[in-house]
Amino acid sequence: MDRKSVKVVVAGGFGTGKTTLVGAVSEIPPLTTEEVLTQASVGVDDVTGVEGKTRTTVALDFGRITITSDVVLYLFGTPGQDRFWFIWDELAQGAVGAVVLIDTRRLDTSFPAVDYFERRGIPFVAAVNRFFGECLYTEAEIRAALKLDDEVPLLWCDARDRESSKKALIGLVRHALARMPVSN
Amino acid sequence: MAYDVWDGDDEAQAGRLVPLYILVNGRTSPRNTNLDLATQVIALPVDPSRLELEYREIIDRCARWISIAEIGAYLHRPLTITKVMVDVLLEQGYVRVGAPAQQKIADRRILETVLAGLERL
Repeated sequence: MDRKSVKVVVAGGFGTGKTTLVGAVSEIPPLTTEEVLTQASVGVDDVTGVEGKTRTTVALDFGRITITSDVVLYLFGTPGQDRFWFIWDELAQGAVGAVVLIDTRRLDTSFPAVDYFERRGIPFVAAVNRFFGECLYTEAEIRAALKLDDEVPLLWCDARDRESSKKALIGLVRHALARMPVSN
Repeated sequence: MAYDVWDGDDEAQAGRLVPLYILVNGRTSPRNTNLDLATQVIALPVDPSRLELEYREIIDRCARWISIAEIGAYLHRPLTITKVMVDVLLEQGYVRVGAPAQQKIADRRILETVLAGLERL
């Protein structure tokens, strides 16, 4: 028996509810794994004035959903700091796609994530996290603010709620399937 | 002078004094580039008693299929080190790995399986 793993990236700005969403649907409490960067990996300007700082630890939260006895889905939250793009590359490599969480109080914090997946042609859905209360914007306004392509699904979710978070994942997989050539 | 190596101080509570990079002979990336943080690993029925403790700890976690990311999380090891150590175990025939996380050209059937699985949850 072979065992296949499938990845989904959960992205969005700092504090948009990534780990909350992972925790809502994961069959295990979210785990944290770390990548350690040495000074050479970090931009020179990043250590200016931070004497003695030679190492940076980037934490990644993730969860798991066993789909069948031979297929398991992993949900990886992107690191809180947007600048570690090479870690995003590692997460996105071979992934089904991404759920980009959006906090309507701070739409701009999710723009780097939208931009990242759009530029690379990686399927993603934009999920407005309702946790933050009444949304002041219409779907059209959110799309315009985030420069979302018309074909990118925009959905509403509550990252604390399992059913709602599950729907966001289902939305992503459907979208990824729809974009796939039928002959594949 | 700045250090540019992992000095292993996360392991200090366990009394560990050897930097982890020594265990992987200074390798900084796995030779098997298909290894991904979601790659599934399982131990093969081989006696691991000759291995160093740090490798045996990995083998102990792999009685059932487990991802590289989970091994790193449970053993509190940085991801890259975990990946390299799994790669060493793979080369030496102690473990086997599952299919790499979806390749560039995604497999439609797997996505359909995932979709059906999520809808069943």
